[in-house]
Amino acid sequence: MSALSESDQKLLERIGTDRIAMRERKTRRRNFATALLFMAPALLLVCGMLLYPVLFNIWLSFTDWRKFKGLDTFVGFQNYKRLFGQIYFAEAAFNTMIWVVASLVVPVILGLGIAILLRGVRFENAFKNLIFLPRVLAPTAVGVIWFYVYAPTGLLNYLLSLVTGETVSVGWLYQANTVTPAIIATHVWQTVGIVMVLLLLGLSAVPRDPVEAAQMDGAKPWQTYFHVILPILTPTLVVVTIISVLAGFTAFDLLWVMGSTYPSQRTLSLVVFMYFEAFQKGGWAFGGAIAVVIGVLVLLVTWIQALLQARAERMVR
Amino acid sequence: MAIALDRHNYDAIARAEATRRKGGWIVLGVALLVSLVWLAPFYYLIVSAFKSSTEYAAGHPLALPQGLSPIVDNAIRVWTDAKLGWGLVNSALYGLVGASVAVFVAAMAAFGLTRLDFSGRTFWFMLIFSGTVFPFQMYLIPLFFTYQQIGLLNTRAGMILFYCAICVPFPVLVLRNFMAGLNREMDEAARMDGANDWRVFFSIVLPNAKGPMLALFLLQFTWIWNDLLFSTVLGNTPEIRSVMNALQVFQGAYTSAGPNIAMTGALMASIPTVLLFFILRRHFMAGLSVSA
Repeated sequence: MSALSESDQKLLERIGTDRIAMRERKTRRRNFATALLFMAPALLLVCGMLLYPVLFNIWLSFTDWRKFKGLDTFVGFQNYKRLFGQIYFAEAAFNTMIWVVASLVVPVILGLGIAILLRGVRFENAFKNLIFLPRVLAPTAVGVIWFYVYAPTGLLNYLLSLVTGETVSVGWLYQANTVTPAIIATHVWQTVGIVMVLLLLGLSAVPRDPVEAAQMDGAKPWQTYFHVILPILTPTLVVVTIISVLAGFTAFDLLWVMGSTYPSQRTLSLVVFMYFEAFQKGGWAFGGAIAVVIGVLVLLVTWIQALLQARAERMVR
Repeated sequence: MAIALDRHNYDAIARAEATRRKGGWIVLGVALLVSLVWLAPFYYLIVSAFKSSTEYAAGHPLALPQGLSPIVDNAIRVWTDAKLGWGLVNSALYGLVGASVAVFVAAMAAFGLTRLDFSGRTFWFMLIFSGTVFPFQMYLIPLFFTYQQIGLLNTRAGMILFYCAICVPFPVLVLRNFMAGLNREMDEAARMDGANDWRVFFSIVLPNAKGPMLALFLLQFTWIWNDLLFSTVLGNTPEIRSVMNALQVFQGAYTSAGPNIAMTGALMASIPTVLLFFILRRHFMAGLSVSA
């Protein structure tokens, strides 16, 4: 201010910039109070019911809490050490990885395939609605239906008997090597529709000109798809990937319903493992540690998503 | 030269058209095959629900039912043995109250975040939105313990409270984007006429946000209706259970009762949201596009 001449100072005083700034600050403070009132219910619900439990969960995973004893005994990383030394954890983690990869790759390939297949076919909308239909059902109801599809005397074995000509009665949901693929197939049946709809939304945004230009230049259909359409579809694919991966990590309903008769149900995924250890065996701190591991994995995926999305957006521009 | 080029193009177009028409029948056939596979479980569900237990055991899975009446007996058994009636009533209550309260609370928060100028808005938004970042598994044990301590475990109030909370962050994201795009001159005009902030919220912003709010309500209602996990943990008694929890418990405990009865239960639990979807398809699709 000292650099200003005296006349300038006087001019500023006449305009009253200080007063304007002060009034501005005052309205902002008043606005903040009002906004806080408007946000209060949401903040209370989110902090009390969601964020506080997360902090509590992290803290309890470092205690010796089991069967309602030992919440006050701090044991450091002991739960995590026990976790990483356990065969069930390794199995559950392995199955979760299969889930994540399969529930991403299969629906995307199938969804893309069906979306391309149905482009311009007669009754296109009827087919699309049909593929989308399973999505409308709850995962629990889907699990109940498919539980009997896979039953020893169920639909799948009946169809296989028709094809092979002899009686087939495989217990698809009772064997270690078939239970995970069987449940993943159910998951795919339910999710291809939504993946397809999202991809179709992306495809409809593909401009006609570059596609026609490529066709005019004599590009084969597969060349057009790989070099023209796929790059434009990349942002949609990133979104679909993230949705699928997160859904794969946290899938519970189908596994819980369809795996109810599988002897070592707890190894079906980390989520089922956590529920089993905490709520059926009463190992609260141990279950809390598994929840933290799942949380770290999910946050990692979300972080990679943010990176990929930023990159995809830059690519389009 | 120019004429020759034109002819060449027409030929190419005609040839492409011809191959497409020839391939059309094959494509249609493949599409039909795929839909047949997709429909088979639905067909299985419907025919099984119309069979009695002895009829189901005697015939093959794809056989048509002999009559339509067994579904009544099946439904009565599901109603009494699985207490699915309680489940349907509970889930309707949880969904209606939980989703409407959550969407309204979210609209209030979004109004505060977009229509009032103050510094640090991003921080407050992130604080609310962070409720979607963590997997559900991190809520389960603390909520179960806290609910038990304060007596909310296995109560309808506790269930509704949780569903309200879990359904807030996502609508805040959507409504914040929506309200930021609404013209702010309307607010200014109303304020000039002496309306206070509440008045602006209720009479100007809320009526304008009706569309996305309805789509969000449907989305959250369906989520609550379909929820199995939180009802299993926080409300696992026959009178409090959500419909999906009742279905799962029934299926697990009465596997011997026969597929036809469990399938009838699955059908009854699905009908409300399926009907809702087909009646309000347009709004669901709107919700779908905002969630993507």
